[in-house]
Amino acid sequence: MRNFIKWITSAKVNKVLCIITFMFVPLALLTVFTYIPFGKMIGFSFYDMKYIGDREFVGLKNYAEVFSRDDCFKALKLSLYYIAASFVQLGLALYFATLLSFKTKGGGIFKGLMFFPYLVCGIAVGFIFKFFYTRGFVLDTVLQWCGFNLDNLPYWLKDTSINNISVAATSVWRYMGQNMVLFIGAIMSVDAEMYEAAAIDGAGGWQKFRYIIFPSISTIIVLNLILAITGSLSVFEPPYVITGGNFGTGTYFVIMDKLAHASQKVGLASAMAIVLLVIILIATLLQKLFFRYFIGEGEHEAIRAVRKRKKREALAAAGNGGVQS
Amino acid sequence: MRKNAKRLLALALTGAMTLSFAGCGSKDEGEGKKKDDGEFSLTLDQIKLGEDYTDVKADLKFLTHKTDVIDTKFKEYITEFQKLYPNINIEYEGITDYANDITTRLSTGDWGDICMIPTTVDKDDLGTYFVKLGDQEKLGETYVKDWLNNFTYQGSTYGVPSMVNAQGIVYNKRVFEESGVKEVPKTPDDFLAALKKIKDNKKVTAPLYTNFAADWTMNAWDAYISASTGDPDFMNSGLTKGKEPFTDRKDGTGPFAVYNLLYEAVKQGLTEEDPTTTDWEGSKPMINKGEIGCMVLGSWAFVQMRDAGDNGDDIAYMPFPISVNGKQYASVGPDYNYGINVNSSKDQKIAAMCYVKWLVEESGFAGGEGGLSVVQGDALPDALSSFGDVELLVDNPAPEGEENLFNDINNDSELGINVSGAIPKATLEAATQGSQNMEELSKEWNEKWTTAQKNNGVE
Repeated sequence: MRNFIKWITSAKVNKVLCIITFMFVPLALLTVFTYIPFGKMIGFSFYDMKYIGDREFVGLKNYAEVFSRDDCFKALKLSLYYIAASFVQLGLALYFATLLSFKTKGGGIFKGLMFFPYLVCGIAVGFIFKFFYTRGFVLDTVLQWCGFNLDNLPYWLKDTSINNISVAATSVWRYMGQNMVLFIGAIMSVDAEMYEAAAIDGAGGWQKFRYIIFPSISTIIVLNLILAITGSLSVFEPPYVITGGNFGTGTYFVIMDKLAHASQKVGLASAMAIVLLVIILIATLLQKLFFRYFIGEGEHEAIRAVRKRKKREALAAAGNGGVQS
Repeated sequence: MRKNAKRLLALALTGAMTLSFAGCGSKDEGEGKKKDDGEFSLTLDQIKLGEDYTDVKADLKFLTHKTDVIDTKFKEYITEFQKLYPNINIEYEGITDYANDITTRLSTGDWGDICMIPTTVDKDDLGTYFVKLGDQEKLGETYVKDWLNNFTYQGSTYGVPSMVNAQGIVYNKRVFEESGVKEVPKTPDDFLAALKKIKDNKKVTAPLYTNFAADWTMNAWDAYISASTGDPDFMNSGLTKGKEPFTDRKDGTGPFAVYNLLYEAVKQGLTEEDPTTTDWEGSKPMINKGEIGCMVLGSWAFVQMRDAGDNGDDIAYMPFPISVNGKQYASVGPDYNYGINVNSSKDQKIAAMCYVKWLVEESGFAGGEGGLSVVQGDALPDALSSFGDVELLVDNPAPEGEENLFNDINNDSELGINVSGAIPKATLEAATQGSQNMEELSKEWNEKWTTAQKNNGVE
């Protein structure tokens, strides 16, 4: 008994116990709300089933249907709008982050204001923008102040040539601040002496950004880019709330929701979810490889750079050899 | 080595937890089944309100879609009801996205005691989720028998309508008269001509307001299908078994005529400018003030539009402008039905029965909401007072063995008739963008419907 108490109060065992106790709650939540439902969903995708009532095992038929339907993959094309938007979003975030990480008047206020949209819940953002884009409301009024004529303005949500851009713009508004704060954090970690050294060497603002800031925070930029692109593939809230997926704004997830809830095709929708998961995994993998090749990751140098250097070295060696002979 | 041990431990822990959770689940199910087996044969007609079971003690949970009146009207109901049954407590839970959420809630089994039965429950599944409220024959002695059809399976009734809607068009009488429309239009062409006159009147922002952005409002258009044919068997056999039911009949009747009316109204610019930003709450005072000519909604909407401003007397209700052989029809169909959870305890079931019976017979809910009451001999609501010689049309039930056929084909085809409003939404979009004409649209619907019919064994 005493041995047991001794054993259990020993630092080693205590540490393990501590880890287990702390891990228990998050692990339990993760299992109950993520892995079990996910496992169930994989199971559902092999059935022809509704939410209630009997289900019938159909094997891979649902997957075959996902690939043969024309609306599923057509909806994925809409992701291009959101991917384009995410580039704009990261560009803006980088711009503001660079400005705000140097001494700026009212910097704190600007940071706060720009981060604020991220704190608003997605559904509320949807409703805000529904009014924002309504004919003759906020956006139209502001544009009229700028001298535009209402008759020349498009219907922001009805006009199919522009409504996807309108909807994608809302996610730029929402996530730009968050990206910006992450970038500011990364920029803060850059050694201030580097700027001084650069200033002494006569570097301007752009050069400081290009040769000091950008290389130092490339990891976090890559991370944000990957998150933004995978997020673009699975957009749901903005089109669901603002347009309900009508007038050609139905993204993959909105279509999935319609199939599952309106038509009760739960099996098919589950299969769609899994297909999208695979697509996202592949996209992420491709991006990772791409960045590893061109930019490098963390401590690792870009593969392309390494190859170039080796080539150069080889050439130089060959050149030297030539001189010597 | 130690690392591995830790990993194993974590794995074992998660495994144990999963098992314990799974354990909970299966135990619950077992209990649920047992409760179901218990003898429970009470039916609505056997209860005498205020005399039987007044000492029953129970707490009831009531899931409702009427989120707007939980704190007002429903509170009064509970107070009234507790004068008769002091020991029954009722707690309402409002669900905003009711039609979607309730199906998921039902599948858990543990959702409450009374709910409004969603249309997604197949008829042969009714008994697995809901208590039998009585035999249709027996209940039909006090209630209108045909209105119990929706949730009756093999003679047993599982749901009683909270109210019954007639399907027509809510309109502003003054706007129509001031624009020179003296008579209520009876055909699609007359109706479109009337809308045009209203548009020329200039005072009105939208002769016909579609409420497209609210989404569920578009659903209403599907409800005119049976009235457009004048055939009480159309929904459950004409549509399910008929060949290409969406084809143009060329005589201004049938489903095609209903959707064509919407198509033409949109195409001719007789609806709101921008359907994507319509505002449901805002539309009520607008029609009351006369900024909107009319809206295509069930009779329940009449009361809401009338009470939304100072000009309640201007609001009126007319039948859908389609005449079959010179006669107009208005489909009458139950709104949400009350259903009682089969997994509740015996006392809860009895208490729930009493409350449902009280709601249906004594509360005056149906009349207050502008609907018809399911109880025989109750007065017609104000909305329908001007219907005149319009025939009220009730859909006949599906033939035995084909109770699920409509739901199955409807889901399979993804046209979502009376569920998602996919057809009217597609119609409006196509008309706005000019991308497809009605012939192309109806051909597409026919193809989807025919494929679904084939998949479900209809030749």
